Amino acid sequence: MKNIKQDACCNTTSLDSVLRALGIKIMIKESECTGCGLCAEICPFGLPQKSETGKYEISHPELCTECSACQRNCPVNAIILNEQKGCGCLWNARSVSKNDKKGCNCS
Amino acid sequence: MAVVYMKRLEEEPESYDSKFTTLTKGINLNIQDWIFEKLDKSYSILEVGCGTGSLARKMALKGNQVIAIDKNFNMINQAMQNYPATLKEDNLLYQIGTLSNMPVKEQSQDIIISTFMLSELKPFEQQIFLRNAWRALKPEGRLIIAAEFMPSGFWKLRFNLKRWWFKKKLQKLNLKGTHINKFFFHFTKSIGFKILSENEWAHRSIRTIELQKVKLNENNEPGFYKPQPRSFKGIKSQLRIYRCLFTGQIDSVPVEPGIYRSGNPNRDSPIIVTANYEYTYIKVMRDLKNIDAWVLCIDSNGINVWCAARGNDFGNTQLLNAIEATGIEQIVDTKTLILPQLSAGGVSIPQLPNKFPYKIKYGPIWSNKIKEFLEKSPTRKPDSMKLLKFSLKHRIRAGITHITFSFRKIFIFPLLGLSILILALNQLNSLFWVGELALWIILANFLISIFFPLSTFTRKFILKAIFYGLINLFILSLLIWIIHSSLIYVLLQSVIIFWLSFFSTMSFSGYSMATSPREIQLEYPLFRKINILLIVIVIVFLGLNIFNFLKLN
Repeated sequence: MKNIKQDACCNTTSLDSVLRALGIKIMIKESECTGCGLCAEICPFGLPQKSETGKYEISHPELCTECSACQRNCPVNAIILNEQKGCGCLWNARSVSKNDKKGCNCS
Repeated sequence: MAVVYMKRLEEEPESYDSKFTTLTKGINLNIQDWIFEKLDKSYSILEVGCGTGSLARKMALKGNQVIAIDKNFNMINQAMQNYPATLKEDNLLYQIGTLSNMPVKEQSQDIIISTFMLSELKPFEQQIFLRNAWRALKPEGRLIIAAEFMPSGFWKLRFNLKRWWFKKKLQKLNLKGTHINKFFFHFTKSIGFKILSENEWAHRSIRTIELQKVKLNENNEPGFYKPQPRSFKGIKSQLRIYRCLFTGQIDSVPVEPGIYRSGNPNRDSPIIVTANYEYTYIKVMRDLKNIDAWVLCIDSNGINVWCAARGNDFGNTQLLNAIEATGIEQIVDTKTLILPQLSAGGVSIPQLPNKFPYKIKYGPIWSNKIKEFLEKSPTRKPDSMKLLKFSLKHRIRAGITHITFSFRKIFIFPLLGLSILILALNQLNSLFWVGELALWIILANFLISIFFPLSTFTRKFILKAIFYGLINLFILSLLIWIIHSSLIYVLLQSVIIFWLSFFSTMSFSGYSMATSPREIQLEYPLFRKINILLIVIVIVFLGLNIFNFLKLN
């Protein structure tokens, strides 16, 4: 039982750690983007912008709230997101920090 | 009652039976006796949610043909270990199974039994369960259910207190509780069951129901349940809106999930999908302005779209459940669902099953653009339909919610405590001070929500918090000086005001909707340190304040 909990809590893949190391929050893989524009339709902050090549790129990645809408709806899976579970609420952050202390040993 | 705590017991199947009996004070055994009274000869029985199999075992030993299913592998495992050695005939079968995937043929069972499983199901899942049970039952077969319900009158209070207590315990263990069966009795008739008999225990908080399958139509299919039309105009619904605003825009206030009608929709009218939060429902219905449309409220647990999408309450599972339970495919021919844009954080189009019968279109971000969206049906939404603006109107709403939140969850007891302390010290004429503190809480929050766009210079909430701490310190100190013209008093209040604004800005982070969870989680440890430090200073200053009053009198 403990192991299952541990795994769920340390849900990190190698891609995540690479992105974290590079400090990248979100990016669109240019080679895979088909320019369908769905991401631009659903991002509440208008971050995906059409570039000259007709493909989309994230204009201000620092404004991304990691809501994962674009990533989970991209039809060709062209968006890489370093997602963090939770909402942007202080009380959510509090419970996350509490649970971290409780026995999750992931770094 | 305590059934909510069975979530904890489920973690240890070995001790589940005895602990559950203790938890229900033996009522579960009485219920088993009641069930045995109903089994007057041997039947073919399907038990759904058998747990560790104690009831299934007893029924099999009495000569019934029993198939017992549970979705929890550990439970089935435990049930197998308790398999009765004396049972020679092969008339007890344990299997892993779910509601939508019962391992029996249609019209094959005399009786379906489920004890203490209903409260684990949300309304749509209950409807799906009823429909699948209907299919699995022989004509006039019976469905026997034991479940926890909300009692009435005085017992409701006791029930809620106990439930609250156990929920706290569960929260500490990071487990989710069970649901309260609010709507269950609405469903039975339209799906095709009639109630044969009922019994109740523990002041109606636990009830058993014996239902009988009724044939509804020629094609021998169970029916669908449709909720009653729900008013969204007039004072009553306005009051319900205020209730949502005051209780916090993320608290759960569910309307019955299901299909609602706006105007007079026909088979080709558009389908608008939304959450089953009261506020959302009323807003969407009002903004549709009686355009002919179907409104499908999915079961988001009574939470608004944005929070539900982020919190796994508005996703593919809920969408699929809604389509299966409401039978919307048979009512409407339209093949496009219009989802709220903000639900995209939970719904994933590519991960829907291949056979998914609908095309999904993400609609406007706010419901007030719905009418325009339906009329123009743009392939590319203009910015006004898709960009999130934390406008003054939204900020004031958020401000009000945050003020009530602060009082309800944080400040009510400290303020009461201070009042009592002042009364105990016999400083009656200093009581105004507590009132003033409450006023500073309100004003500080109000100023933050109004001036919120001023702090776009940084994304760090701690910096924003210090920024608003200073702004409010200046404005409110000025106000205090105007009221009291006492410099000492201003000084004594200043730290309190700074902390109030600091803390409130941080707590306001979730309302802006533009906060990233990672950023706020990274900032939390530092915030906590600063907060504790400030609280210590604030307590010292509160003490000084009281000392000041003592000296004055």
